[in-house]
Amino acid sequence: MDRREWLAGLGTLMVAASAGCKGYQYGHVIKPDAPNLVGSHEAGAEVFDPLVDEAVAKLLARQQIVTADTPIGPDGEPLPKTICFVGIENKSAEDIGDFKDQLYQQIDSRLLEANSFRSISRRMVDAALYETRLRPDSLMIPDNMRLFTAVLERQGAPIDYLLYAVLTSGTTTRNSSKQRDYDLTLELVNVHTGIADKQTAEVRKGYHKSAMGKVWNYNPFKR
Amino acid sequence: MNRLRPMQRPASFTRPALASLMVLVCLALGCSTHAKRLATPRSLFYDGRLEECRTSLVKLEKSRHDKDVVNLDLAIVDLLSGKPKEAETRLKAARDRFEELESTSLTEKTVSMWTDDQVRSYAGEDYEKILIRAFLSLSNLLHDGSDAESYTLQLQEKHESIAQRIGEAEPDKPHAYRPLPLGFYMRGMLREATLRDYDDAVRNYEIASSLLPDCIPLQWDLNRARGGVHSQPGNGVIYVFALVGRGPYKVEVTEQPTSDALLIADRIVSAAGPYKVPPTIAPIKIPDIAVPPSDISSVGVSVNGARIGETHIIADVEELAVESYRATRNTIVARAVARRVIKKATVAAAKQSMNTEGLSSVGMDLAGIAWEATEGADTRCWGLLPNAIQVLRVEAPKGQAYVELTPLLQGRPVGSSKPVQVYMIDGRNSYVLCWFPDARSTSQVITCTNGLSSSAVPVSPIGSAR
Repeated sequence: MDRREWLAGLGTLMVAASAGCKGYQYGHVIKPDAPNLVGSHEAGAEVFDPLVDEAVAKLLARQQIVTADTPIGPDGEPLPKTICFVGIENKSAEDIGDFKDQLYQQIDSRLLEANSFRSISRRMVDAALYETRLRPDSLMIPDNMRLFTAVLERQGAPIDYLLYAVLTSGTTTRNSSKQRDYDLTLELVNVHTGIADKQTAEVRKGYHKSAMGKVWNYNPFKR
Repeated sequence: MNRLRPMQRPASFTRPALASLMVLVCLALGCSTHAKRLATPRSLFYDGRLEECRTSLVKLEKSRHDKDVVNLDLAIVDLLSGKPKEAETRLKAARDRFEELESTSLTEKTVSMWTDDQVRSYAGEDYEKILIRAFLSLSNLLHDGSDAESYTLQLQEKHESIAQRIGEAEPDKPHAYRPLPLGFYMRGMLREATLRDYDDAVRNYEIASSLLPDCIPLQWDLNRARGGVHSQPGNGVIYVFALVGRGPYKVEVTEQPTSDALLIADRIVSAAGPYKVPPTIAPIKIPDIAVPPSDISSVGVSVNGARIGETHIIADVEELAVESYRATRNTIVARAVARRVIKKATVAAAKQSMNTEGLSSVGMDLAGIAWEATEGADTRCWGLLPNAIQVLRVEAPKGQAYVELTPLLQGRPVGSSKPVQVYMIDGRNSYVLCWFPDARSTSQVITCTNGLSSSAVPVSPIGSAR
């Protein structure tokens, strides 16, 4: 080996020694109108944001219809309905992790923004569950519902409706591609009459092992 | 284009070149392994002399390459000294540092081929990264519990990223990565404690239970989350976390490279330059896992005089360390072989380029041998982990509970019991952390009654008992 070659090798080593750098991380603030990242392996904001928007909007639209039974206030406007948002049940194939509490707060906030509902604090709901030791999914049993509403009344928060949110999913697989349909169902139950109303929003999402998976499976020539 | 003519080599060139090779050798000299450096702190730790152990570890912390891994050991010392907040701070630093080191440094990778793997920053084994988050959650639960849920979420995220990485690297093996049940158990435990998110608890207990199918208490947890409630009115819950036995650690051994390792080494060497790995190679130094014998298998728990049961394994650290080592062993051997070849080639190239003869040539050969001999195995690891992390859940009436913890070997008591008082709050979790490296352990027991941040239940201060 030529000496110059050897020295060049040593020089390369020195450059390499000074050039290496570790995996630093950087952050940036996303503008409100910027699109969400699309999760490559599971649902994220790109799925949950439209699900919440659509499900809440549908529920509000239906509940704003005034019927003969709708209680009317002294100003002639329908009285807001007091609801107890019990919680979100995740029955989908994915673990939603930190999205669960965020979804609760998003739905609760949207309902409060509309004048047709008056929601009670989550802390009161938690306190009632703590006192009664009832499971949220057992509140439909008449005795349990009576006990639960009685505790809330004693806390100074009488309610008209129980609201449940249920996240479900359905998966269709085709070779290395997968389609997952995410449904968010809002179920509103009148604690006085037991009559329920339900609204569902759906977002469908495709997952592919290759970059061409989307084009291959979702093109206009495909049946 | 003007080509430079070969320069006339001055007669004095050989000496500086030889000197620079000697400098390289000297730079790599004096490297004892981490296992040897950790021997004294380990023995102090197991003797229960935590303050002396801390002082000894702080001295080791000054070394740049040992700093991160020593920080983990110091976190364990802090936690078991009743300083969970300090432990959490250290673990957070380790977590962030290991995240930063996830992408390999070109500098260190290159330099390590000329010295040994100990010059590389220690980025942690996969199971250590999971355990860091589990201990973060545990440390947090033992002081205020406000971030414990976030840590379990981070743990889950880490699980997913490791599983994804391994899945992509080994697509043919469907179960190449076996996650740690501890993380799922802790997440389930915290979600159940909300008295609301039982569905999350079921999901996590199901995963933990599938990873430990023979664990009966996990089946109880799963059944309770599916159809029962966290606790009956008037009762609270104690979680006894026991760190049982002396954990595994790495030691240096001399190894004959296997054909698989030689194949990987050949790829590394071919990428580095016009070299080939010889068909046979002299034995090389690599790390191996040492597992100290244990005279304790679980911890018996009695509450208010009634024997409840014994703790069950939720994280088998020994198994994890051995599995993790097996998975990377061939690569470690291959790196050592490649390093040997590159060192030999460097000496040969230096000799050839300088036309060394006689004494100079012998001197360079000797320097080359010394260079190879200074190489040590990378034995860095989280050295103060227990052999296993075990847990037992006990529901008991609210108020003061008198808990007794007894070391057991195959169900029989092998040491004296440690009594501890725990204040139980209706519908809330209390946590007990005990440490039994062996049957004669004199370590303290850390307790904390933890109110959920969303509730108005007061949080009691940490208590400790000898």
